[in-house]
This record gives sequence, C-alpha cells and structure tokens, in this order.
Amino acid sequence: MLVGIPLEAKRTEASKPKECAKEMSAYLQTVAEDRCKMSFSKVFGYFAPRLRSYALKQIGNEALAMELVQDTMSNVWQKAHLFNAEKGSPSTWIFTIARNIRFDMLRKQQNRKEDICSDDLWPVLCEHTADANEVSLDEQITLEQVGGLFDELPEKQRVVLEGIYIEGKSQQEIADELSIPLGTVKSRTRLALNRLKEMLKDHD
Amino acid sequence: MINFHPTQEQLVDFVEGNCSAALALVVSAHIDMCPKCQKQTSILQASIGNQALSIDSVTDGADLNVNFGSMIAEITSLPAAEQISVSKREAPTIELDGRKFTLPRALGRYVENTGSWSHLLGNLWQAPVDMGEIGKANFIYMQKGGRVPEHTHRGNEMTLVIDGEFSDGVSDYDTGDFILMNENHVHAPHSEVNEGCLVFSIVDAPLHFTSGIARLLNPFSHLFFK
Ligand SMILES: [Zn+2]
Repeated sequence: MLVGIPLEAKRTEASKPKECAKEMSAYLQTVAEDRCKMSFSKVFGYFAPRLRSYALKQIGNEALAMELVQDTMSNVWQKAHLFNAEKGSPSTWIFTIARNIRFDMLRKQQNRKEDICSDDLWPVLCEHTADANEVSLDEQITLEQVGGLFDELPEKQRVVLEGIYIEGKSQQEIADELSIPLGTVKSRTRLALNRLKEMLKDHD
Repeated sequence: MINFHPTQEQLVDFVEGNCSAALALVVSAHIDMCPKCQKQTSILQASIGNQALSIDSVTDGADLNVNFGSMIAEITSLPAAEQISVSKREAPTIELDGRKFTLPRALGRYVENTGSWSHLLGNLWQAPVDMGEIGKANFIYMQKGGRVPEHTHRGNEMTLVIDGEFSDGVSDYDTGDFILMNENHVHAPHSEVNEGCLVFSIVDAPLHFTSGIARLLNPFSHLFFK
C-alpha cells in the first residue's frame, strides 16, 4: 500500500493515459486529413522523447536511438492515414512501427558489421555461392565414396577440413592449434574444397 | 492444423524488439499464417506498447527536454505515403515446377532475393535466399520420399512450414508450424505426403551432420544449405 497518496489523486493518475490516447488519436486524424503540422508537432512532442528513452535503453547508443526516433516519426507523418483508433491506441500503433524499424536497423547493422568477417562465420561457404549449381551432387555418389575422396586429400588440407567440418572448430581455433596464420587455414580450406569438387566432377 | 507455435517468451521478445533479426522474420511469417498467434501478438503489443510509451514512462526531466533540433521540420517536409490498402496488395508467391505456392507476407520482400531452384540429393529441391549476414536462408522442397541426412545444428535453425507436411523423427509438422532447432537437437526431416512439403528455413550457423559416415558430408553442407 502506498502511503500518503489520497484515493482521488490515484484515480486521476489512472485515467490519464486514456485521455492522452484520445487526444493523440484526434491529432493523428488531423495529420491524416489535413497534413496538419501543428497536430504532428503535438504527437511528436509526446512520443519522440518516450521513444528515444525506450530505444536508448534497448540499443544503448544515442545516435541509433535518434535514428530510430526519426524513422518512426517519419512513418507516423507519412502513414497517419493507416492509423485506426478502433484497432488500438496511438501508443500501440507507434510502438509497433518502432519495433519494425528496430528490426530493419538490426538487419542493416548486421550487414555492416565488419569486425566479424562473414568468412569466419561461414568458413568458405560464402566464397562458393556460385558453385552450388555447377557441381551436381546426385544419388550416384554414395556417402562412402565421399569418405574415400576425403582420404585422398593432402594431409595438411584434410586436417584443416576435418577441424572445421567434423570437429566444428572455427578457422581461428585451427590456426591457433596448428600455430599457422589464419590466412593459411583459409587458403588450405579453399584448396581442399576445390579439390573435392574436382574429384566429384571426375565421378560424373 | 498448426501445432507448433513460438513460445510466449519468443513472442514477447519479438514484440519488444529484443530477438535476432532472423528469429523476428520467421516469427512474423508464422504470425501471418497463425490466427492464434496473431491474436496473442496484438494483445502483447497493446500492453507492452502502451506501457513503454505511457505518460509516466519517462519521468526524468532531462529525457523529456531532449533537443530534437530540426527533426520535426525534416519530417514534415516529407510527402504523405501513397494510400495503398494493405489488404489489396497481392499475396507473394514462389514457383517450383509450375506449382505456385502462396507465401506469408513477411517473406514477400525476399522473393526477389531468391535464387533459382537446384535439385539435390534425396528428392530435395533448394532455392537460396540472400539475407545478408543475418543468416543463411533457403526454401526447401521435399518431394514425397525426400529426405535430409540426419544432422544437428551449430546455431539456430528456424523453419516454417509453408505448404504440406513433414516429419523429422521427433515430431510431425503441418502447414504453418514453427520449428526452432539448435545444437541440442538431432533430426532427419523427410516428407511422405503426396504433395510433398515446402519449408522456409534460416540457419544462423552452418549445419553439422552427425550420423556415421554422413559426417563426411559436412564439407558439402554448403551445397545443401548455404
Ligand atoms: Zn501460432
């Protein structure tokens, strides 16, 4: 029980968000119908600081939080006609827009991330994108045959491939273990895979 | 009938914007197909959204008086978006061998990033979807009798059944089902129904084959699931 807050004050507090929803709904409608900048600035004045505060807690980066606010509020301005007060409150609508933009940003961010080179996450895989169609792996090649081919690889290449694909290590881990540069592990992996593909082609 | 849904926790993470972009994509595609999760999500959106942006969500005066500079002016100089009603937009589709499959809306934006189908070992067809760094995604079609070798996962493999049914030795799945597998799961998907089964699958690390000699297929896992 909260001490010192009279019942009346409590009731006013509780009714506030609803009134605010009504007020904001009306502004959004004016934005949709009249492109009213004054109404938009009211919506902005209420939501922008709250969005920023939420985004800052979530992302922890001021510039990205501001970017999220700008993109979200741009959507609100441009798509106000899609808001439907019968389906939900302005808070719900705007929060959902912000959430979708947050995921768009996350996608872009991941694609910008250069410190984790895609090579390391996807050993060799990304370099061979085009090859899937060239190599025809059909039922004629049994698993045993593939195993046999594996043994035909030069020792140094086989060790690297086994580390990656059978033991599930990263290329960096293998480099550390063998005390060789990461670049060497990468080139051995590439050589070994190309070799295996050549051998598969000879099977056809 | 849909039997496999995201967990409540996954839905909350999605609504709050706290899950990975890959999971968000598959969850929202599932929501497009699942009335039950649609309802649940809108309830969560209302309660979480209203609370996050409620009048007392920010009490710190400094936070309330942040200077947004010219942001309002920049925004209001933008034109209104064209009024295209969402319901009138045609549902996205994907084609294989003359058969057209309707896709959930969330996957629509990736149709143009989808490469051509290639026929793989074991009555499987695969079309890669370029998703950038968020994961490796594919549409996979299992013909009747189509079988993926038993494998486990080094990261998360999220699968949505687009059309048809399949089993994986753990459970039976139907259209709309949402399946999340990680390094604790070993499974061998296969379809035994006449119409086969189309799934969308996204893996945030390459698959790792486990069973006997099939482990030696690992060097080729990129040919199956790039
Ligand atoms: Zn569901």
